[in-house]
Amino acid sequence: MKPSDINGIKDKAAIVGIGETEFSWDSGRSEIQLACEAIKAACDDAGISPHQIDGLVRYEMDSNHETLLVQSLGIPNLRHWESVSYGGGAGNAVVGHAAGAIAAGFCNYVVCFRAANLRSQLRLGQARNPERIAGGAQSFAAPWGNMAPVHHFGMFVRRYMHTYGATSQHFGWVAVTLREHASRNPRALRKTPITLDDHQNSRMVVDPLHLLDICQENDGAAAIIMTSPDRAKDLRHADIPILVEAAAQGSGPQNDGIIYRPDLSIAESVNTAKDLWARAKLGPSDIDALMFYDHFTPFCLLNLEAYGFFPFGEAKDFVDGGHNIRFDGALPTNTHGGNHSEAYIHGLTHTQEAVRLIRGTSSSQPPNKTINRVLSCSSVAQLSAAVIIRRG
Amino acid sequence: MLEQPEKSRPMTGPLEGIPLPAIDRLPDYELGFWQSASAGELRIQKCLECSKFRHLPTPMCPHCHSLLFDWSKVSGLGHVYSFIVVRNPVHAAIREKDQLPYNICLIELEEQEGLRLCSNVLNIAPEDIYIDMPVQVTFIPTVDEPSVVLPMFIPTLTA
Repeated sequence: MKPSDINGIKDKAAIVGIGETEFSWDSGRSEIQLACEAIKAACDDAGISPHQIDGLVRYEMDSNHETLLVQSLGIPNLRHWESVSYGGGAGNAVVGHAAGAIAAGFCNYVVCFRAANLRSQLRLGQARNPERIAGGAQSFAAPWGNMAPVHHFGMFVRRYMHTYGATSQHFGWVAVTLREHASRNPRALRKTPITLDDHQNSRMVVDPLHLLDICQENDGAAAIIMTSPDRAKDLRHADIPILVEAAAQGSGPQNDGIIYRPDLSIAESVNTAKDLWARAKLGPSDIDALMFYDHFTPFCLLNLEAYGFFPFGEAKDFVDGGHNIRFDGALPTNTHGGNHSEAYIHGLTHTQEAVRLIRGTSSSQPPNKTINRVLSCSSVAQLSAAVIIRRG
Repeated sequence: MLEQPEKSRPMTGPLEGIPLPAIDRLPDYELGFWQSASAGELRIQKCLECSKFRHLPTPMCPHCHSLLFDWSKVSGLGHVYSFIVVRNPVHAAIREKDQLPYNICLIELEEQEGLRLCSNVLNIAPEDIYIDMPVQVTFIPTVDEPSVVLPMFIPTLTA
């Protein structure tokens, strides 16, 4: 028995509530208030009181700690708490951890959340190094001007294009499709539809990445509530049980300086995918819709390949023209508009959208197709995480 | 005569006003890189037991777990493994000092497959940089901290 064969969380946790604040460029309020608002909204959706929450799973990067959350939400006894490292890398992973806490019986109602003013306060897309760096990966990158995620990931994208012949137009079709989905989503920050020409004519930020390849920065918060399938039967969405079927995380080698990995045209999430499919005893053909972590549009292609939907280098034909990844296409993809056009909440909105698709309440609900099982996954590239959720 | 699109200006030296290593606060297992660059040499951390080069520097060899290493001089020859051209600044000094565009290149050194440095390639328009382009090292002090010398690369001069 290998670790990858064991699936201890399978169908033992139910997603019963999702909630969020409005998304904005400047929320005008504290991150703790955003967290409380999103968690309260998720509790309302589930039909529970915040007083019933007894588990918290944070993003390590989140400024809101357990102490003030317990205080603010009036939680009488927090039985379980944990945080998952990083920002985007913790997306999906927090959902897997929360499911684990429920499966283990550590708590009855667990919330995972992300709340941040990522536009009006800390902007992760800007250089954040100190003026003099006391060693580590940054000190071997920043002095030559390599100072932001877009620089590291641009190196992957260039190499990917070189190896497999993908072009900026392929990435453009991803951008056009995500924006179209956002144009139908009342929560989305960027709703104005774009064309492939708009993408191609948008400012070159870091060649080979255009402005319209890069996710936005914004303020906002999102939260997800989970409990046991038995408790879920008494809650608001009891008619549509949604279960966590499998989860996985993976890092790849050379995690501190990802640009030194052996092959920059392949995402580290090949490791994550291998474990995920082995645990779930499923494959890409079992998936009805895909939520991928879209910090940069090319990672749609890298995800499709890393998670086994296509052999390496062949996703470009699938995304070409956009129709296959549209909400009414062969594989509805990021039907909320993603980080790119809905909101950048470090991937938690992707799992929320997976829940909506199964409930049948997405603003881009695929017509004539029942969504029973969704993969929410990332290829961040430092590390990645994925969950499969399904109709119970 | 066909009009040629105008190319961007080449980089000629280190960027100014951006973060640099704090030489007096570096971990001991990184210092050799910067000391040798100051002396005009490119030296890469090399395991004394399994003889593999490694970069980024680490206290322990990730291959054989030896703690013994030295700083081994390399030829400074290599090729471009991947590159980007920065046309929008993420740091105020890039904008204020009119330093756009600039390139960032991953240089794979000839000594070992996958042994790469992050650097800039000088004396070439960014439009002319390509993957597999042969390059050689050169050393230039930074304007902001003249004691910090950066290994940089130029297109290989053919004999």
